[in-house]
Amino acid sequence: MAEQGGTLATSDRSSPLWADYELTAAYDEMFPGGDAVRPHYAALRDSLRFTTGDAFRQRKAMTDLSMRQDGVGFTVYRAEEGIERVWPMDPMPRIIPADEWQQIEAGLIQRINALNLFLWDIYHDQFILRDRVVPPQLVLQGTSFRREFVGVDVPRRIYVHICGTDLIRAADGEYLVLEDNARTPSGVSYVLQNRQVLKRVFPSLFNRYDVLPNDEYPTTLLEVLRYVAPESAADPTAVLLSPGMYNSAYFEHSFLAQRMGIELVEGRDLQVDNNRVFMRTTRGLRQVDTIYRRIDDDFLDPLTFRPDSALGVPGLVNAYRAGNVALANSIGTGIADDKGIYPFVPEMIRYYLKQDPLLNNVETFRPAIPAELDHVLANLESLVVKRVNESGGYGMLVGPSSTRAQREAFREQIKANPRDFIAQPTIQLSTHPTFIDGRLEGRHIDLRPFVLCGERVVVTPGGLTRVALPRGSLVVNSSQGGGSKDTWVLAGGEKNQPGAEAMLGQSAADQLAGGGR
Amino acid sequence: MMLSRVADALFWMGRYLERADHLARAVGVTSSLELDLHGVLADPVELEWTALLAQYQQPPPIHREDEDAVTAVQRWLLTDITNTGSVIACVNRARNNARSIRGSISPPMWRELNKLHWRLSDVAFQERVGESPHDFCEETQMGVLLFHGICDATLIQDEGWHFIQMGRYLERADKVLRTLDAKLGLFVAGEVTDLPVSVLQWAAVLKRCAAYEAYQRLSIGRVEPERIIEFLLTHPEFPHSVRFGLNRVFHSLGVVSGEPVVRGDTEPGRTVGRLVSDLTYLDRPSLGAAGLREFLSLSLQRCGLIGRLLQQQYSLQ
Repeated sequence: MAEQGGTLATSDRSSPLWADYELTAAYDEMFPGGDAVRPHYAALRDSLRFTTGDAFRQRKAMTDLSMRQDGVGFTVYRAEEGIERVWPMDPMPRIIPADEWQQIEAGLIQRINALNLFLWDIYHDQFILRDRVVPPQLVLQGTSFRREFVGVDVPRRIYVHICGTDLIRAADGEYLVLEDNARTPSGVSYVLQNRQVLKRVFPSLFNRYDVLPNDEYPTTLLEVLRYVAPESAADPTAVLLSPGMYNSAYFEHSFLAQRMGIELVEGRDLQVDNNRVFMRTTRGLRQVDTIYRRIDDDFLDPLTFRPDSALGVPGLVNAYRAGNVALANSIGTGIADDKGIYPFVPEMIRYYLKQDPLLNNVETFRPAIPAELDHVLANLESLVVKRVNESGGYGMLVGPSSTRAQREAFREQIKANPRDFIAQPTIQLSTHPTFIDGRLEGRHIDLRPFVLCGERVVVTPGGLTRVALPRGSLVVNSSQGGGSKDTWVLAGGEKNQPGAEAMLGQSAADQLAGGGR
Repeated sequence: MMLSRVADALFWMGRYLERADHLARAVGVTSSLELDLHGVLADPVELEWTALLAQYQQPPPIHREDEDAVTAVQRWLLTDITNTGSVIACVNRARNNARSIRGSISPPMWRELNKLHWRLSDVAFQERVGESPHDFCEETQMGVLLFHGICDATLIQDEGWHFIQMGRYLERADKVLRTLDAKLGLFVAGEVTDLPVSVLQWAAVLKRCAAYEAYQRLSIGRVEPERIIEFLLTHPEFPHSVRFGLNRVFHSLGVVSGEPVVRGDTEPGRTVGRLVSDLTYLDRPSLGAAGLREFLSLSLQRCGLIGRLLQQQYSLQ
């Protein structure tokens, strides 16, 4: 798509909501440029034709109240009193047409299959290292490679049962994988909650769309947990292991445990006896077969990993090794979403599946390769440089917004340890209409769909759309002022044929507009 | 069968909510009583509020320059988060317990408790306590009632539900006993009980135990201390009597331990059973005034013991 600029033509500003909606160089989800609206958004635009800023503000207030009363949020603790932040949702939904979603879905299934094959391989025969498709030292010296788990057979050969993959859209609209989250990805409860709240506060938006439901997720997750349980368990007992209510993702832990009807346990509720895991109940001990753990590897078992951790369960790792309990995700999956490994995922897909990747990576440079090192050092101003062993936005250089001193510091570090870094061009992320101060403005968004891998691989329709609320910002993290959106995947049936929908929407809109004059 | 930690949180959620409810009612009733007593007593403020603080083992609060002593006490007992015994602190603790096990209560229960928490935490709403504490007290009581109504209507009445009931009713029995104990501390043998002051005060005791209307129905307008004490201690069917509360604890204990407590196979079962039996067969006239006070303080000790024994039996933390 050619670069777009300026504001929408006057004819489209049918409601003051759209006054001064600006298009930038980034891909806009709703408007291709000029007077046009993308077909799958036409009905949404029409249904907002007579909505005022105040009316929209009211919906936003209802959204916040709903989230607050449901206790949906995250907590920052200070002494006795917790500062509770309400989960921020923008009432303007993001819409993904059926055909686009089918491509995303196929790409994600392909990707998780490749990651699981990769993990089995590197913890067993290491063919991919021997064939030099992935440089061995990247895996063997990676901080999240669990040497202790080489040769351990995990149930059903599945390492990653739950994966949250971050997708962004380039300026031409192509979906690209920014990163895989294969450890303990979070956010799915907000996906489900956003839908429930939007249906409550803004039902009219749904009128002309067939939106695929996303509410099956907990059921499917429970199927996965039972599928990987030890075969000796006739009626497996699954639990969700949480660090407790002070964890920022605690809402999600309790939400999922409740929706699955399983116990939410903390480390102190569990004990290991004779390599079996039990929970302490009012009627004594009861054996546990699968643990959906929301605690990182490092804190899982003080006997194996960090000895100072009070969150985990002593002896849990040996029970797992003995095959008496299943863990989801498995131990050692961190190496699969390591930033140093990320550039090789497309190669993995070709190597294990003999297929071309359906979803591409963001172009990535590896300073470890001399030619790419030169390119990175020469273009620090326009690149994003990431440290391979860090996550959550730490240890990053964002070229365009960096100072000279920061760039020089990174230059020296990259030269000294080129293997510790990767670099990517600064991608704009697509923009989406978002309610800001009484009107709709374009804000940058990403997408995290959730993939479940058990007997079959299931991708929950949609995912978590995060939105960066400050103008021009590319940071979508909720801890840094990010919001979220309900994400609609449209059913493939007649009603949602984009063309038909747009025509219907347009003619109805014309009639209304004509009648009003 | 349930996690011991969950049982513990449910039990304390029930206790804290009952505590908040009882204190809110006590503050509301005392506020209203004090206004009535102005007409007949020299310094009702001193008498009633000091007695209330003493019953809750609370120090007299330091009051701000812009408020009077009564408002200061009301704020301290209702909205002061630094007072761990205040209504707001009890509701927050109940909510924290609920939060730590929110998968084990129904979503509407959580939602209601959460709504109560946010309403009571609203600064503007709290400020209105200065004008009148009524709304704050009313909101608390209705919130707790609504919560239990939702609880009964939506939660499976299995072990977890019974832990909530045990917390709720053990706390209730304890609070009614304490209210009577405090009142009897001011009760002088041979006191003329038909003075307006006395009638108002004893009516307030009933109201604080949510028992005024129920008592009136049975005793047709006669506010007599003897009848009131007996009613609050031993009535088998009134939900706020000590006997009723402990009977509920006894019943729930049977369900939780897996079989009806007939012979009292467990230490908590035996202790609750004895106390219920003492209340059932209480020979009030032969006790005398001193005997009654002794009975009240022994019963209070037993309530404390029951709480501790439950912790041991079910390894509640």
